[in-house]
Order: sequence, then structure tokens, then C-alpha cells
Amino acid sequence: MTRRGQRRGRIRVTPLMTAFVTLTSVYSTPVFGRSRSDCLTTTSDSATKARALEKFLASVERKAFKIAQLGLRSEDDALDAVQEAMMKLVQSYSERPADEWKPLFYRILDNTVRDMQRRRTVRGRVMAFLPAWRGEDDDDEYDAIAAAPSHEATPARRLELDEAIDTLERAIETLPARQRQAFLLRNFEELDVAQTAAAMGCSEGSVKTHYFRALEALRARLGDVW
Amino acid sequence: MSGPNRSDIERKADVDQSLGGTLEVRSRDVLAESVARLDGRTLSRLTQARHAALAQLERPQRLWWPGFVPAGAAATVAALAIGLFVMRPDTGGLPLANQGLEALDAELLADVEALELAEADDDLEFYEWAAAEAGAGEMGS
Repeated sequence: MTRRGQRRGRIRVTPLMTAFVTLTSVYSTPVFGRSRSDCLTTTSDSATKARALEKFLASVERKAFKIAQLGLRSEDDALDAVQEAMMKLVQSYSERPADEWKPLFYRILDNTVRDMQRRRTVRGRVMAFLPAWRGEDDDDEYDAIAAAPSHEATPARRLELDEAIDTLERAIETLPARQRQAFLLRNFEELDVAQTAAAMGCSEGSVKTHYFRALEALRARLGDVW
Repeated sequence: MSGPNRSDIERKADVDQSLGGTLEVRSRDVLAESVARLDGRTLSRLTQARHAALAQLERPQRLWWPGFVPAGAAATVAALAIGLFVMRPDTGGLPLANQGLEALDAELLADVEALELAEADDDLEFYEWAAAEAGAGEMGS
């Protein structure tokens, strides 16, 4: 027996080594308390959430575009607004329950539309002092989807629909923002009163009032049959 | 909302929220048709926007430490490394039988007086003879 530790053949086992072996046997759990199986479960949860988000965004993108377009009266601005709303939803609210995504998304979209309207107003005032400026269109590489023919009805039917769409959209565009929002979310997107209230950031009573006033205004402009 | 203070419009607004009126049905159909007729460019841009948004979920999370490495394995590796450092041989791995001589040599080196004596080769034989004579004298007397 030497003064330090014990000899085990050619290896001198020191108290420090003993302590390490003891610790490794006690603390056999992985770093940060997560096992390998926990990591695999988390990975599959993320994939499930990503698929659910993709399905949701695909289900709302076209109507969202139409709603944004009716507020901004510009297709390009509406596309930008929808993209911005999608980015913000995924970035900041993907962890929320799936049944909250729709009202959240439309709330974000409405805020984005308002911001763009404000910026447009300021830009318009600034540009009024500058000579005419034309921006260049950034299109583009060939896009097979964009080049694909659109769905079209017969010419007569198409003309009839064109007129109906044009008339309705012009009427909706004249509505005050809150009435337009309530009408489109309730009637077009078919949110219930509670969801619409969440999307608009107001009470359910206010939603009903805005919606009722929108209907009255449209009836006055379009008539009951148009 | 309920009670006598409600305005007329609030009461009317409560009457029908079924979305079943003529205007409502027709406007819903017309807007649905408008959406169905979106051109390819718009649909393509919407698809790109969706993919760009979802790409945020796919950004890899870089770990400064691979979390799946068990702490036990890491500690074992560390223990082995320290153990190898501790048990590294100073003299090139002598067999067990010679380790006693190593210890003796070490003690010798630590004993300065003994070292000086060992270095006095010329006087070593004298001291051995003196020790032997002293032992014989004690036995004789």
C-alpha cells in the first residue's frame, strides 16, 4: 500500500478517478436531461407542425389575397401583404394552437394592410413633390405556373361574371375599413363571430354591428338583386 | 349585449347573423368565383410566399454541444483521459519487480546525506571494513 491510493496491478487508482467513476454511474442521463428518444419525438413533432402550417397557409392564401387586394386596390401590394403576414405568423405564432391560427393570421394581415396604406399615403405626399418616377418591373425568369392558362368560362358567362365581380368589389372597396373587414371575414372567409372579434381586436357586439352596417351599405349600393 | 340601453342598430344586428340573406349568398358566390379565377402569376407568387414563410421552420438549430451525447459517456471519456495522464509511466514502464528499486532510488535521491555517502566511492570500502571490524569487536568483548 502506497501513501496515495491503492495499486491495482500496474494502474494506480487515485481517489479522483474513483470519484469520476462514481459520478458517471450515478448521473447516467444525457446532457440537458434529454434522452435520444426525446430528441426523436421532438423532431417528429416539428415535422407534424410544419405540415399542419403548410396546410393552413395553403387553405387561406387565396382568400387572404383577395381580402388584401380589396383593401389595398393593388395586386402587387396585396401579394406583399400576404407574404408578410405568412412570415410573421410562422415566425411568431407557430407555437400557438392550430385553431388560433386563422384569427391570428387575419389580424396580422389587417395590421399589415393598414401599415401599407399609411406608408402609401406618406409616400404619395412625398412623391407629389418629385417628378414622375417609374419603377421597373422585376419579372423575371420564366415561370411555368405563371405561364399556365387561367381557368376561364365561356365568353358570355365570363363577361357576366366580370361585371358582377367588378361591381361587388368596387362596392366593397367603398366601405369603411372596419365594415369591410367584418363583412369579408364573416361572409367571405366564414369566420364565426368570436373568431372575427379576435381577428379584428374588438368585441363580438362590435363585430355584429360592423357587419350589419356593411350589409346595409351594400344593399343600398347594389340593391337586393344584382 | 342585452338590456334597455342597447341601440336599435345593435338590436337589428343581432337579429340575423346566419349569413343566409340573398345579398350575402350572392356576394359569397361572386367572390369565390373571383378567387377561382386568379391568374397563374398570382398563384405562383402565393406559393412562393408560403414556401418562404415555412422555410423559417427548417433553419437548422446549431448546438454548441451535441445534446444527444450522454453525460455518462462524456464523463467516462474525461475520466479515462485523466487516468491515462495519472498512470503514465515516468521510467518507461518497468515491471512490477523493479518498482521497489525505483522507490528506493527515489528515497535515495531525496536523502542528500545518503547520496553524498554513495558518491564517496573511494571511502566506501573503508566504511564497510570499519563496520565489519566494529561488529567483530562487539562480539569479542
